Amino acid sequence: MTMTKKILVVDDDIDQLDHVALILKSEGYDVIKAQGQKEGEEAILTAIPDLAILDLMMENMDSGFVLCHQIKKLYPETPVILLTAVKSATGVDFSPKSSGAASWIKADILLDKPVRPEQLRNEVKRLMA
Amino acid sequence: MFAIEANGQKIEAKKGETILQTLTRAGINVPTICHMEGLLPSGTCRMCVVEVEGFGGLVPSCSHPVSEGMKIRTNTPEVMQTRKTIIDLLLSNHPDDCLYCARNGNCDLAKMAADNGVRDRTFQGERTKRPKDISSPSIIRDPEKCILCGKCVRMCEEIQGVSAIDFVQRGSKAYVSTAFNQGLNVSSCINCGQCIMVCPTAALSEHKYVDEVLQALADPEKMVVVQHAPAVSVSIAEEFGFKPGTDFDGKMVAALRRAGFDRVFDTSFTADLTIMEEGSELVHRVQNGGALPMFTSCSPGWIKYVEQFYPEFVPNLSTCKSPQQMMGAIIKTFFAQRENLDPKKIVSVSIMPCTAKKFECERPEMGRDFVADVDYVLTTRELAELFRIAGVNPAAIEPEPPDTPFGERSSAGKLFGASGGVMEAAVRSAFCLLTGEEMKEYKIQDLRGMKGSKELRVKVGDLEVGAAVVSSLGQARKLMDEIKEGRKDIHFIEVMTCPGGCINGGGQPIGADTEAIKARMNALYQIDRDDRLRVSHKNEWVQRLYTEFLGKPLGHKSHELLHTHYHQREVLL
Repeated sequence: MTMTKKILVVDDDIDQLDHVALILKSEGYDVIKAQGQKEGEEAILTAIPDLAILDLMMENMDSGFVLCHQIKKLYPETPVILLTAVKSATGVDFSPKSSGAASWIKADILLDKPVRPEQLRNEVKRLMA
Repeated sequence: MFAIEANGQKIEAKKGETILQTLTRAGINVPTICHMEGLLPSGTCRMCVVEVEGFGGLVPSCSHPVSEGMKIRTNTPEVMQTRKTIIDLLLSNHPDDCLYCARNGNCDLAKMAADNGVRDRTFQGERTKRPKDISSPSIIRDPEKCILCGKCVRMCEEIQGVSAIDFVQRGSKAYVSTAFNQGLNVSSCINCGQCIMVCPTAALSEHKYVDEVLQALADPEKMVVVQHAPAVSVSIAEEFGFKPGTDFDGKMVAALRRAGFDRVFDTSFTADLTIMEEGSELVHRVQNGGALPMFTSCSPGWIKYVEQFYPEFVPNLSTCKSPQQMMGAIIKTFFAQRENLDPKKIVSVSIMPCTAKKFECERPEMGRDFVADVDYVLTTRELAELFRIAGVNPAAIEPEPPDTPFGERSSAGKLFGASGGVMEAAVRSAFCLLTGEEMKEYKIQDLRGMKGSKELRVKVGDLEVGAAVVSSLGQARKLMDEIKEGRKDIHFIEVMTCPGGCINGGGQPIGADTEAIKARMNALYQIDRDDRLRVSHKNEWVQRLYTEFLGKPLGHKSHELLHTHYHQREVLL
């Protein structure tokens, strides 16, 4: 019997949080919701997520980066998706695909908001395959 | 015809024309921003104002009908100053990042400013701050650069029948946006990029992947394989100063190799393969009572359009993947096996005249084991940019042939680049497959040209087939509504999202007029006229691919690799 996969979703925007959780729940995943960096930090101490989806700009501009480092330190095998509007908002490309960024951004991929449901589903499946 | 006077000269005018049409025909240049050929005038920008004797104020020439005896002046100090002021006002709120702008070098607003003598900033307006929308894999919107001409809105609504974008709010607060101001990625946008083609600035541009491809080219661990679509070779020369319709096929192949691509394949090869699969599918549907009429599925904008606006027609879409995706699939399977390579080490790049292809290659169903069939899609414009960055000048290189095994093509496959080309290629092969004979004359004039809707009745043996060809989704909508109302005489329908087909795709060089599009189309016809291989079913490498790998059209392997499924799609409308 396979265990249901647990996905941690962290976003300070409650609508966005619920939207992403809804997409993932419809696929049969267990979703742990955290509204911000602080709640996210608490969540990773009590549960080991199989995958994490993090907003970037929350309590602080770099909340997502910090949380991502903490997750990778505790659970190096857990894939992390940064789901963010940072490039639209600041013009800065933090994509781990861009040269240089991959060395310090520990996320596996960065997705620009808003994301299509099938796009998110596919990336989640791919990273947990 | 009647006479009017323009700038002191007598010229002839036609009843029903606008002042602008009469003046343009007489060779008098009147600047416009919002004018769109073939559509009703909107009179938004006021750049085309002229002085008409007896009229109180200046008259917008694009929307005012010409009448007998009119005395018009187009270059009085008042007219020229008014135009200058309009540009001054547009620039007062415009970002000053021309050096980094996607339209650097071909910006209509910059040209308009230069042509009208605007050389200083007259007004320092308050800058509107609006975030860029980079969510779509195909199109980037930068509302700060929008000058509210409305051409993108009209293109999306009046030509394409999509209406993904529209004006929001009023007066000085007005801007162009999507439903609920959400990103294009979750909107009803079908990614065709026709909005980019009419945008005078970089408020709309393609989502570029040039950097990613350059990174792959620099990676010694990767084999970078490229395919190029039929319509690219007859348009890329324009990016290097050559006249529209110049064919750069061999030069482009050579330039791709100089830029570092390990293999260069021709998407026209899989256009030939599409004919084999799609033709077999049509026959299968006719013989087994499948959903008819069958629609072609080469054009990804059209596929998304059906999925979101006409889901009841999803079963009518051919299950064939597009030629781009067929090529991607056989590169990462047959070619990878042949070269003894791990498909994950292959970076599959596609050069397309299309922005919707960027969306298509991301579709989850277009790959296996989470390995995408096509990794990056570059438009014709991006390829020109990549050549410039890499210091490769295709104009100065001797032509070279593409690589085997996917370099051989028929000219029927090449015709896919023009509206009607898929149908012409299909009829040529269907005729032979059903009668055992070749057509006496391959050229089918009724399927050629820029008309948005073309029809043909073909008698093949005992079977009479009704065929229709439409380009632009506005035309497709008309035909679909006729079918919904009971029309039953059409069995096979070719739909191209862009008016005229891929030669006028949203990824093609910007600034082409109707004559330039026709020149690209005629270049494809010329290639077909001169080619030694003019039918898809005689492509030897397509036959070998079936013998050595696929088996037969619609066989198990073909279904697995070359066919897919489409589904109803929910978007923000």
